[in-house]
Amino acid sequence: MTIMEPRKHGDASDGMVGGRQTRFEGNLKVTGGATYALEYPIEGVAHAVLLQSTIPAGRVTSVDTSKAKAAPGVLLILTPDDDLGLMTASDWYGNRPENQPYHPLPREVSFNGQSIVAVIAESREQALEAAKLICVTYAQTPAVASIDDPKAGEGKVMGNLTIGWGDAEAALAAAPIRIEGEYSTPREYHVAMEPHGLTVKWDGDQLTVWEPSQWSHGMARSYSEWFGIPYENVRLISPFIGGGFGSKGAALAYSAVAAFAAKKLGRPVKLAVTRPQNFTSYGGRAATRQKIKLGATEDGVLQAIVHRGASETSTYMDYPEQTGAATPILYKVENFSSQHRVVPVNTVTPGALRGPGKNPSAFGIESAMEELAYKLGMDPLELRLKNYADHDYQSGKPWSTRRLREALTEGAAAFGWSKRSHEPRSMRDGNQLVGWGIGCGTFPVIQAPSEAMIRILGNGRVEVVSGAIDMGQGTYTILAQTVAEVFGIPVDQVEVHLGDSRLPGSAIAGGSMLAGSILGAVHKAATAARDELIGLALSDEKSPLRDTGANTLTFSGGRIAVPRDQGPSLSLPELMAALGRDEIETRRNTLPDGATPQEHHQAWTTMAKVQGPTMGEFSMHSWCAHFAEVRVDEDFGTVRVSRIVSAFDCGRLYNPRLVESQWRGGIIMGIGQALLEEGLVDQRNGRTVNNNMGDYLVPTNADVSDIQVISVGIPDYGASALGGKGVGEVGIVGVAPAIANAVFHATGKRVRDLPITLEKLI
Amino acid sequence: MTRTIHLSLDINGGRYDLDVEPRVTLLDALREHLALTGTKKGCDQGQCGACTCHVDGKRVLSCLTLAAQVEGRQVTTIEGIAAENGELHPVQAAFVEHDAFQCGYCTPGQIMSAVACIREGHAGSDEEIREYMSGNLCRCGAYNNIVAAVREAAEMA
Ligand code: FES
Ligand code: FES
Repeated sequence: MTIMEPRKHGDASDGMVGGRQTRFEGNLKVTGGATYALEYPIEGVAHAVLLQSTIPAGRVTSVDTSKAKAAPGVLLILTPDDDLGLMTASDWYGNRPENQPYHPLPREVSFNGQSIVAVIAESREQALEAAKLICVTYAQTPAVASIDDPKAGEGKVMGNLTIGWGDAEAALAAAPIRIEGEYSTPREYHVAMEPHGLTVKWDGDQLTVWEPSQWSHGMARSYSEWFGIPYENVRLISPFIGGGFGSKGAALAYSAVAAFAAKKLGRPVKLAVTRPQNFTSYGGRAATRQKIKLGATEDGVLQAIVHRGASETSTYMDYPEQTGAATPILYKVENFSSQHRVVPVNTVTPGALRGPGKNPSAFGIESAMEELAYKLGMDPLELRLKNYADHDYQSGKPWSTRRLREALTEGAAAFGWSKRSHEPRSMRDGNQLVGWGIGCGTFPVIQAPSEAMIRILGNGRVEVVSGAIDMGQGTYTILAQTVAEVFGIPVDQVEVHLGDSRLPGSAIAGGSMLAGSILGAVHKAATAARDELIGLALSDEKSPLRDTGANTLTFSGGRIAVPRDQGPSLSLPELMAALGRDEIETRRNTLPDGATPQEHHQAWTTMAKVQGPTMGEFSMHSWCAHFAEVRVDEDFGTVRVSRIVSAFDCGRLYNPRLVESQWRGGIIMGIGQALLEEGLVDQRNGRTVNNNMGDYLVPTNADVSDIQVISVGIPDYGASALGGKGVGEVGIVGVAPAIANAVFHATGKRVRDLPITLEKLI
Repeated sequence: MTRTIHLSLDINGGRYDLDVEPRVTLLDALREHLALTGTKKGCDQGQCGACTCHVDGKRVLSCLTLAAQVEGRQVTTIEGIAAENGELHPVQAAFVEHDAFQCGYCTPGQIMSAVACIREGHAGSDEEIREYMSGNLCRCGAYNNIVAAVREAAEMA
C-alpha cells in the first residue's frame, strides 16, 4: 500500500490513511447527538444509588434500613446481608478461581469509600433521599491510611520487577561523579468528564448493559461469569465514552450490583456513580516513591543506575505502579539495578492511569538526569545525547525504530534551546524567574489480536464493523480512512460501527494498543473484500469488466477500472448492480490461521494473547522529548507553564490532526500532574478528602498556554501492520519532570515531590 | 407519595410539559424527563461546566438550577443552536474544524459557553477566551483547539 505523506487540510488525501480528516463522528458530538451510556431511553427504568463506607477497615455489623424502606419510591435495598449469588470472574489474563463467591457489597471493609449498600427507587432523587436514612454500624479495625502512615512499613518486593545487569553498586561506588535523589508522586485520578455508571436490562436470561467501556468484550465476559450465563447472552453497548484514561476497562463492583438489582426487580436499572464516589469506586494512579542513584564519569558518561521504588497498593491485591518501567531503557548504561515494592494500605486497588508505570518512572529518572547535568555543569540536552542508548540494554535487542535523538534535536531547535543560559536563576522577565527544562518519555508498543468485518453494500456504501471502542482517540475516523483508502472512495461513503460486544472482537483501548491492533484487522478484512470484488468483476459473466483481459483492477476516485486502460470504469454501486449483489461481507482477524473458537474467545475477552514490546526480535517503543518553559513569580512562588514544545516518535501517524490532539491532551494532563493534582488522604481515617472536581484540581483552559507538537517518527512496520506506534499514553510521560526541571532552572529549587505547589518554592 | 409539580418549560423554542418533584434540577429534567441528553452531567456539583445551558441567553449551570426556576424563561440547550435546516452553528462548525474535542463529553457545555462568551464580548484575545472558558473543564485536554475554535467563530460573528 502507498504511504501518504500528511497533507494540509482540504486536500483530497485527507480521507486516506495519514490524512488530516476531521473527526468522523464530529457532528454527533457537537450537536449533542452522540449517546453516552446513561442516555439511552429505557422504558420503566429504576434508579440505584450507592452508599459507601465511612471507615477505612473493619466489619459491617448491622445496617438499619427500616426508615429507608418506608421512604417514598423505594423498591429495593441491598446490604452485606444479601447474598447476591454471584461468582468471582476472571482476572485480566483469564485466570479464574474455582467456586469463589463474589460479594460486591462486602461485609469486610477494606477502605474508606467502599460501596456497601445500594438503594433502588423509582427516581434517583428518591433513592438518594432514602440512602440518607440508612444507618450502618461498624466494628472498626486498625488501618493504614497511606504510604506515609508510619504503620505502612516497607511493603513487599515484586520479584518480577527486579531488574539488573552489570554490577551497579560497584560501578556506582567507583564513579567519580554521583548524585542521588528521592522522588515521589501522590495519588492521582482519571477524572474522565463522564462519570462511571451503567444501565442494565434483562430479557429472560439475556443481559444488555449500556456502560462506558474501553473494552466491550472483556467487560461482557465479567458479567457472564458473575451471573453464570453464557457469554453470548451478554451484550455490552458502548459506542461513545466520555473519556476513560484507563478507568473504564473493567466491569466493577457497582456494575454487578446494578445488574443484580435489575434481575431481582425484573426491570431495568440505572446506576450513576456520583462524582465523589468516582474517587473510590476504582483506583487512580498509586502514590509512588523512588530513590535513584546515578554514577558518571567527569565528562558525563553514565556508569551506573541504582533504582529502588515503591507504590501503594490495596490490602487485597498487589497492583504495582512500576516505578522502574522507564528507568532501564532511556539511556545507555552498562550497570543497572532496579527493584520495586508494593506497600499495602487501606485504599481501593490502584489502577492504570495514562502512561502507567512509565509516567512516575520518567519523573524519577528524568529529574535525576538533570540533577546530574547541573552537578557536571553540562547542558542537560548534551548529557542526554551523550548517553544515547544505541540499543535496548535491558533486553539486549536492537530498537525497531528509535528517533529519540531526532526528537531531542528537532525539539530543541523548535524551542530555541541554544539560547539557554545554564545557571539557575539566570533568566528573568520582570519579577518572573524564567526556566527551561527537558523531560523524555517512552511507552512500549503492545499488540493484541483483533477482528473486523467489512460489508460492501449494493448502494456502494462500505461498512466497517468492530467491537473496538472510541473514547476520543479517533477509532471511528482512522477505520473510515483505512477503508476509504482500500476502496478508493471518499470517507463519507464509509459507515463505522463500534462499541458493542456482539461485534467482532478487538484489543482493549488501553496501553496505546488499539489503533495498531485493530487497523491490522480492518486493513486485512477490507483488502480481502476488495479482492473478492475484483475476483467477481473479472470472472462474473454479468460484469462489464470481465472481457477486458485484466488480471486486477484499480480503485481510485470512487471508480473501479482496469489499470492503465481507457476502458470502462464503474462506481462501486454500478459494479454491485452489474454483479447483481446486495452485499459482499468478509470477516478477518489477526490470530494465527486455524485458531480454535476457544482461542478466539480468549483473544477477545482476556489479555492472554497480548504481545509485549520485546517478544519479537526488536525492542519497540514510542518516544518523546518535552521542552518546557516556566515562569515563576519570585514573591508568590506561583508557577505558570508559558510554553511547551514536544517532539514525538510514534512511527507513522494515521491521522496527524487527531494524533496532535491526543499528544496535547497527554501534555495537559502532565501539566496537571506537575502543578495541581494530588489526592489528599485524611491520615486519621483513610478518607479521600478532595473527592470532587473543585478540590482535586485538573488543568483549566487558563492553565494551558500554546503547546507545539512535532512528529519526528518514521513508519515502523515491525511495530504494526500499517507502521504506527502507540500515541495515547506517551504524551504525558516526561512532562512532569520537564516542568520540575524548568522550575529548578528558574528558581534553583529542586522539587522532588509532585505536585510543585507554591509553598514548596517560597 | 412524593409531591410532584407541573411545569411548562420553553426549551429551544418548543413547549415541554412535565410533572416532576420540586427538587429536580434543570439538568435532570432535560436528561431524565425530556430525552434532551445533549446536556451532560460531569459532576452534579457546579464544578465542571459540562451541564452549561442558556437561560434567557445567559449561561447557567443546569445542575445548580432547579427546573422549577426556569418556568417562564427561555432555555436553550445544545440541541437548539443549529439552524433549522440542520446547518451547524458557527461555533459548532469551528469545533469540528479545529478538533476542539476528543471524547466529546464536555463539548456541549464548551459550545454553549463559547456561544455566550462571544456574545458577552469576552472573546477579544486568546488570553480572554482562556479566562472566560475556564469554567468548562476538558479532561481530554482540547484547550488549545477550543481557543482556536472560539477565536475563529468570534472573528466570524
Ligand atoms: S454537571 Fe453541572 S457543573 Fe458539572
Ligand atoms: S473532549 Fe473529552 S472532556 Fe473535553
